[in-house]
Amino acid sequence: MSFFDLQGTLKPLTALKQFGKKPHTLKDIPWKKREASDRYRGLHFNDLDECIGCGNCSTICQNAAIDMIHLEGIEGKKGDSGLRPRVDNGRCCWCALCVEVCPTGSLSLTKDYIYVTEDPDAFLWTPGVDNPDGAERKSFVSDKDHSLNDFNRIPMPELEGKERVKSFAEVVLGYNEQQAREEASRCISCGICTEVCPDHMHIPEYINAIASGNDKDAVKIIYDNNPLPEMCGKVCTRRCEDVCAIATRGDSVAIRWLKRYATETAATADLTHEIVNPEIKEANGKTVGIIGAGPSGLTAAYYLALRGYDVTIYEASAKAGGATMYGIPKYRLPIESLDKQIGYIQSIGVKINFNTKVGKDISFKEIYDKYDTVFMGVGFPDAWPLGVDGDDAKGSMQAFRYLYMINAGDKVDIGDKVVVVGGGNVAIDAARVSRRFGAEVTILYRRRVADMPADWEEIEGAEDEGVHIIPQGIPTKIHKDDKGHVTGIEYLKAKMVADDKGGRPRPVAIEGSETILEATAVMAAIGQMGDYSFLPKEFEDKIKIERGRFVVNEKQQTGDPKVFAGGDAVNRTADAISAIADGFRACKAIDEYLSK
Amino acid sequence: MREKATTIYLGPQHPGITGNMMVRLKVIGDTIVSAQTEVGYLHRAFEKLQERRNWLQGFTLMCRFCVPESDPMENVYARSVEAIDGREVPERGKYIRVMVLELARIATQLMWYAGQNGSLGLYTMGQWSIGDRDYILDLFEELTGGRVYHMYQWPGGVRRDLPEGFTDKVLRTLDYLEKRLKDYDDLMFANSIFQKRTQGVGIVPKENIIEHGVVGPVLRGAGIRSDIRIDEPYEVYDKLDFEIPTQEGSDIWARALVRRAEVHQSIRIIRQVIDQMPSGEYFNKFPNPLKWIVPAGDAYVRVESGRGEVGFYAVSDGTIHPRRMHLRGAAYVHAITLLESILPGQNIADVSAIMNSLGTCAPEIER
Amino acid sequence: MKEIKDKMIAQIKAVFPEAVNKDYDGNRLDLTVNKEAVPSVLLYLKDSMGFRHLSHIAYVDWIEQGEFELVYILWSPLDKVKLYVHTRINRENPVIENIDMIWRQANTYEREIREMLGIEFTGLVAPDEFILEDWDDIPPFRKDFDTLEYVNRTFWHRPGREDAQDVRSTISERSGEEIPDFAKKYSR
Repeated sequence: MSFFDLQGTLKPLTALKQFGKKPHTLKDIPWKKREASDRYRGLHFNDLDECIGCGNCSTICQNAAIDMIHLEGIEGKKGDSGLRPRVDNGRCCWCALCVEVCPTGSLSLTKDYIYVTEDPDAFLWTPGVDNPDGAERKSFVSDKDHSLNDFNRIPMPELEGKERVKSFAEVVLGYNEQQAREEASRCISCGICTEVCPDHMHIPEYINAIASGNDKDAVKIIYDNNPLPEMCGKVCTRRCEDVCAIATRGDSVAIRWLKRYATETAATADLTHEIVNPEIKEANGKTVGIIGAGPSGLTAAYYLALRGYDVTIYEASAKAGGATMYGIPKYRLPIESLDKQIGYIQSIGVKINFNTKVGKDISFKEIYDKYDTVFMGVGFPDAWPLGVDGDDAKGSMQAFRYLYMINAGDKVDIGDKVVVVGGGNVAIDAARVSRRFGAEVTILYRRRVADMPADWEEIEGAEDEGVHIIPQGIPTKIHKDDKGHVTGIEYLKAKMVADDKGGRPRPVAIEGSETILEATAVMAAIGQMGDYSFLPKEFEDKIKIERGRFVVNEKQQTGDPKVFAGGDAVNRTADAISAIADGFRACKAIDEYLSK
Repeated sequence: MREKATTIYLGPQHPGITGNMMVRLKVIGDTIVSAQTEVGYLHRAFEKLQERRNWLQGFTLMCRFCVPESDPMENVYARSVEAIDGREVPERGKYIRVMVLELARIATQLMWYAGQNGSLGLYTMGQWSIGDRDYILDLFEELTGGRVYHMYQWPGGVRRDLPEGFTDKVLRTLDYLEKRLKDYDDLMFANSIFQKRTQGVGIVPKENIIEHGVVGPVLRGAGIRSDIRIDEPYEVYDKLDFEIPTQEGSDIWARALVRRAEVHQSIRIIRQVIDQMPSGEYFNKFPNPLKWIVPAGDAYVRVESGRGEVGFYAVSDGTIHPRRMHLRGAAYVHAITLLESILPGQNIADVSAIMNSLGTCAPEIER
Repeated sequence: MKEIKDKMIAQIKAVFPEAVNKDYDGNRLDLTVNKEAVPSVLLYLKDSMGFRHLSHIAYVDWIEQGEFELVYILWSPLDKVKLYVHTRINRENPVIENIDMIWRQANTYEREIREMLGIEFTGLVAPDEFILEDWDDIPPFRKDFDTLEYVNRTFWHRPGREDAQDVRSTISERSGEEIPDFAKKYSR
């Protein structure tokens, strides 16, 4: 190469042809602001109404840039922690993982990327509050297709409908280990569910234990405030799942099934004892008498016994469990499962006197005098009759009584055509039990199927098993033959009329729409009620009963400071988990009362 | 009379240094007699920070290892986790990844065009190539939502599918770039200043190549046909047709020619990718990131970045947190022991050009 | 590939009978050797078996086992085999032979490992400090070095974020739930 290379000097000069060309990267600036792309990851925006304050954004943020804070005007309620995210834009790295894990889809990033201020503290701001107009420039959003939340529940294996009606074998088969781990790992551990659980179980903690493979820890956590968890794992009304953060856009985490999985790993009472390894305090010499071995009574008994109290339960029936023993069919809650849990409760020192009806075999006064405190978990042992003409016919019965007798091992003659009146879980249970005895079963309900208070899974299960549902039918009369046997039920068709006061629509009978349904048995499942005849007159002043229920304070204490009460005879929700919560609360209150 | 050696410090803030690092030079006159690389200005302890993060959170740090070239880092992270976890990537996901990697390679080389010329005082080239690189960043912005830090490839695939009409935009950009590359040739490779400043300068002796673990364009500039894309094909490189350009000179000039040819090859690859792009899924979803347990195991995966081999060693102890994440970048090898060994005898004015040509990236060394 | 790897294992075992191999799918091959054997194994692999390229030296702290692990990752350009040579070093007395005369770039790795884990390489000639400056704590890549604790000790937090709430405890306080201590490690 010569010192002066002609080509090497001239060729670079071709750059001069660019001279006078319009600059291409900066065409319209500063007159027109550059629009960011459609998935640009700019400043945050949060839809405050959609957000439920689960805090998943704050958890995933690897820069700790997101705080959950209280905002004026946003109150916590069931299904909403009341907190909202605030972003420290000085720490944000615009990875948008917060958007990808947002279960509700309320959080998004916008096309805004210019934010200039001299005040360093001004970079701390609350999306949605400080940039309400960001809603119009959302770009990086969380839609269901892209979200990292797993919105689909692991399906629960079940027996086929045709197989089910052949026996009382358990319908739900339960998760295996892998299914449980996968289902548990869907949970985002926000804990919003714990607030609606009447018993406030430690749901995120035990689910996390299952997800990380520590089933024993899960069982231990579950037993912290629920001594009948396997029962709950099978039949709980699980209001927790209604508010699950994942349920905002998908299937809720199967909280109930996971509890069932964990507790079933403790296969026997002894194994449960070994895993829970409860710390039982030394006997303190104080005594508690409990009436009724239902969920509330057993719960109070278990936790009082752990605290060193001498606890004795009086139970009218031959087995413990109350409504969970006698009201729930065995294909939902097998007797072995209940026996295991009650066996464990007995193993820590709870005494149960079976076949001892208070008011008959032993007087209330005797118990009242004998023990330092009394807890009444007496439940609702009676059911409402249908209250129509012909109600007294043979074969007309209450579904609750029917279930009791079947569960106690008695035989009941129902013929081959059963009509169940009602739309709650008891109605469905009675219908499905009757199917298992080979009867054709029809459910007659005043309102629409969608209005039925029973679990949708139960309704579906009943339909799978061939139960026929007639909605919007109001029974008016039971027909009987000359021997007094039921032959049919007459009902009026109903139309739904909007309620002026804003309540749910009421069914109103249509004149002249009388229909007769052939039947060999009619079962009323329209509600249960208490039986307080055991309570002597002298206590009436102190232990008040209003609208069929005991009146108690927030500590489950009746007007008599020595007497506490819980369960269906107290609360309005009338489910097992509420009874357990009552029992747990009463335990703490009794402990406090007796420690004074 | 024997001249006395003087110590001068190049960096840590210096326009010719790529990132904050320093080279301590002992010089006699303007000839270097010894050199020592000093780092420690950019240590962010990303690998240590991983210990407190879960398998997904870690992915957001990856692109930050080397600012101008973030995608290969994301790719090795994703692939190492996939290797331990046994997670498959859908075919479309792999093709999209290759497209991103090759676009990134072009962007890196355009950045290098600017750096290499800037280090020689030829600033027009830099203005052009950085401006043209912005067209690629525009594509990245549309595809990933970010211009420089893409955070796009993650374990199981890529984060979002191609937007509508994206491939047409890519093709238009490639056509434009091809035209521009001719302008670059006139301005840069035909330029006698560039030639004189690079030919015979910064020679990496061929006999030292193995001892110094030389990789990438530096290795190919020394006449060795080695490229991880063909040596150990990842994603879908085994289904694509491309050449591995080599040169014999082993100097800055040779390496520049290799890089120039690689841009053309990348354009060729992207066109094939768009041609073969399958339909279907682009992401095989991993479990809820907060509870994602990766089974115990380890994996070392490599990718050919624009500057050479990038390797990533990941270890899981079967929990939601990585046990260890360890990145190996080209600069870690080139900019310390190799640089120190080739600088003696060179001129002070050439140090920046040599560093650029070796693919120095300070943030990648310290991590 | 399987054949090539089997042949390699046989060849290595013939020279280093105490080396333990583990097979993986594809082109990966793992060897575990005593730390004393590392230089001779690496030299043999490089000079006699075609593992010309030292790709990486990774380091891991297995604090539970009281050991550090070094992983030398080699690449054979001809056979296209990736070889991991694992070795364990006692945490109490972390010393191992320097190998930078085999591959010069190992010098940089060893400087880093010396600084970050506190492993001593006998015969290593290199400046004292690499990335860290005036470091007087335990080597920071040891697992017992707590980054969060270090950050809280060294830096201050910008005021203005003290009102941040924890979602879980906000809810449990409102509902009166008492989370037992043994369960708290499972809270998020």
